[in-house]
Amino acid sequence: MVQINLPKNSKIQQGHYYKDKTGSQNIRKVNIYRWDPATGENPRIDTYEVDMDNCPSKVLDLLNKIKNEIDPSIAYRRSCAHGVCGSCAMNMDGKNGLACTKPHAEIKGDINIYPLPHLKVLKDLIGDLSTLYKQYESVQPWLKTTKIIDDTEHHQTKEDRSKLDGLYECIMCACCSTSCPSYWWNGDKYLGPAVLLQAYRWIVDSRDEDRKERLKKVADELKLYRCHTIMNCTNACPKGLNPAKAIASIKKMLATS
Amino acid sequence: MSNNPLSPHIQIYNWHISSLVSISHRITGIINFLTLFLVCFWIWTLLLSNESYEIVFNFFNSIFGKFFVIGFVWSYSFQILSEIRHWFWDLGYGFELKTSKITGVLVILGSIIITIVLYSIRGLLV
Repeated sequence: MVQINLPKNSKIQQGHYYKDKTGSQNIRKVNIYRWDPATGENPRIDTYEVDMDNCPSKVLDLLNKIKNEIDPSIAYRRSCAHGVCGSCAMNMDGKNGLACTKPHAEIKGDINIYPLPHLKVLKDLIGDLSTLYKQYESVQPWLKTTKIIDDTEHHQTKEDRSKLDGLYECIMCACCSTSCPSYWWNGDKYLGPAVLLQAYRWIVDSRDEDRKERLKKVADELKLYRCHTIMNCTNACPKGLNPAKAIASIKKMLATS
Repeated sequence: MSNNPLSPHIQIYNWHISSLVSISHRITGIINFLTLFLVCFWIWTLLLSNESYEIVFNFFNSIFGKFFVIGFVWSYSFQILSEIRHWFWDLGYGFELKTSKITGVLVILGSIIITIVLYSIRGLLV
């Protein structure tokens, strides 16, 4: 269901303002979405003045600096800091991405940081992705084969292997799915770009013997065809992948099979 | 879990060319559907009487009527161009970010150009 307005308990309030204490001449304002499950209050936007002369280049560095030097109470996920784990996916400057690969110099004006859109917030910048993980499980993302090879690798031709390029690199950060308006309105039924790209990754794997079943399972008005090629997913992907194209490839396969 | 807030979505998300064209495709689709009834009504008045035709004729020549006709022509031009873009997508072409951006801009510019051209040569068409 399309629900443009946020529910009552999600309306955002004006939060605290943390003035710069370093006396730096190079200050930027950082607005961060905050919600504390312990208080039961509505979410708020806290504003931090940050000394940019002593801050490394990425948005994650900025967050770390705020957490270490200004406000230790702020919560966000991060791990590898190299764009591989996908933990620090969030909405920066109105677009989803990984905080560890997004340079804050690319953002003009105040830096606005929100959790990934249209998720239940667990705390501050941490959204609940359990629905997405359940949907991921539903496409059975593992190799299904009757061939059991114990002593050698399971070979593919170079062409077959190249079909997985642009798919296997996906790190499941959920930037794409949570950027998709169709997923916002129908996230409980529509699988979303991340999961559909993964579904396609197994559909085109030459070693997999379950292609027909996989296609049949995904061929559903709601699960697949809620994609209207809005392309927000491809715009958002921090790994430069193309979920919109993967979804279109599934649709094409279904139309021509 | 029930009391957890929903993170902001459409309120904070940037518009891209592709999302803008996508939502416009839907809106023009609905407008086209509704205005078809008006066009049918207009044709119907032809059959009724000279006076009833006159009323609709005067409406189309009023300022509001002209605005309506221009909007209708734009809405159709946009829908048709955007639909052609969708056909290419259905065939599997044009998904690269750069290509989709260019085709999106072409749809917007093209629809405006077609509207201007059609409206300025309307005398020749009748």
